[in-house]
Amino acid sequence: MGITLTYTEQELVSLLRNRDNKAFAYLYDNYASALYSIILQIVSDAELANDVLQEVFVNIWRRIEQYDTGKGRLFTWMMNIARNASIDTLRSRSYQNSRKNQSIQENVDTLPVTDINQPGIDTIGLRKVLEQLREEQRTLIELAYFKGYTHEEIAALEQLPLGTVKTRIRNALIQLRALLK
Amino acid sequence: MNIQEYISSGIVESYVLGLADEAERAEFEEMCTRFAEVRAARDAFELSLEQHALAGAVAPPAHLRETILQQFVAEPAVNINGGAPVVQLRPIRRSPISMAMRYVAAAAIVLLAGSAALNVYYFKKYREYSQRYDQLVARQAELALNNKAMQTRMGGYERTIAGLTNPNMAKIYMDASAVPGNGSPAPGSQATVLWDTRTKDVYLMVNNLPQPESGKQYQLWAIVDNQPVDAGTLHMDEGRMMVKMKNIPRAQLFAITLEQEGGSPTPKGPMYVMGKV
Repeated sequence: MGITLTYTEQELVSLLRNRDNKAFAYLYDNYASALYSIILQIVSDAELANDVLQEVFVNIWRRIEQYDTGKGRLFTWMMNIARNASIDTLRSRSYQNSRKNQSIQENVDTLPVTDINQPGIDTIGLRKVLEQLREEQRTLIELAYFKGYTHEEIAALEQLPLGTVKTRIRNALIQLRALLK
Repeated sequence: MNIQEYISSGIVESYVLGLADEAERAEFEEMCTRFAEVRAARDAFELSLEQHALAGAVAPPAHLRETILQQFVAEPAVNINGGAPVVQLRPIRRSPISMAMRYVAAAAIVLLAGSAALNVYYFKKYREYSQRYDQLVARQAELALNNKAMQTRMGGYERTIAGLTNPNMAKIYMDASAVPGNGSPAPGSQATVLWDTRTKDVYLMVNNLPQPESGKQYQLWAIVDNQPVDAGTLHMDEGRMMVKMKNIPRAQLFAITLEQEGGSPTPKGPMYVMGKV
């Protein structure tokens, strides 16, 4: 997909804030695929990912005023919206599906394992990069980034000291950066 | 911690990927404003992440594009119907707090401050009135005590007058000049015995007697057939009131001597006054 940037990020943001429809079309054409990939890595279901993508663009449209250029790039902001929307969807889904008897802990045990092993998902995006990490690091990034658990929750789930969880996640992230370069 | 260590601690990635907690986020944002190196590291990681994501992009189903973009055409129309498009100029980070709630909160704070001030004011007042009340209670108690003392004295004087005016009361005037032998130590001394002829109760009224030295007390004697009979001791603080003494059925003389405090079985001290019945 050849992306030719016709707007600077500044221009794009101010056009989006002015509710410029062309700017939104441009945004979609240039970023929808990248965001869709992120959504897919988390929800792993194409139907669900379609819904989430819609929701993500609605959120971008509604919350563009809240985007603070000083705190990071537009794409990072959108990526985090996509990640949060995906995790929220996943959680509400898994909650609805497992209302009968499971605790949260069981959801964690059942959901991610099947998802990770689903063919195709781990060959895209960050997941592909994660493949190169050690098993224990991969698990932690899986829980923290793709499942959205807090460090405290992870410490409880993995029965590890909080400090260990933090250190391992930080180390995994440092390696991730090296792998992305 | 120096900046390079901070940058390579994994915080940059943690922040950008949305894994940092609230405190870490705040610290990182602060570091970004202070250190260009931190900002540069963030930008670099963001860019590599973005490039990686764009490179690994997965195209969504083509029909989604229309569905999604259609929504944005529809939305501003609502704004136009309502007048000018609503363009928010600043990011609203705390939008859930409505203007009304802000006014309520402001009002609550003002009320709280006012209430606190009134508390202080009324507490001061309360202390002031509490002190005044205590003073009044003390004064009231003092007055009640004085009143009681006055009533006692009044009662005494009433009895004195009743005694003096009672026709059944025999009055025996005792005088220093009547004292035999060496005479009275205080020549001007005078006292009166009032003797109820029916009940034989004896009352004493001091007209003039010197204040006894401490440890001494005046004692009244009835002389019956030349034998002194104790008729009771006298408390000088009764003033000039008529004081009830002992019951004396019969006597020829009455006399007062100065004795040790508490009285004596027989007269030993000097005689001050004497009077015949």
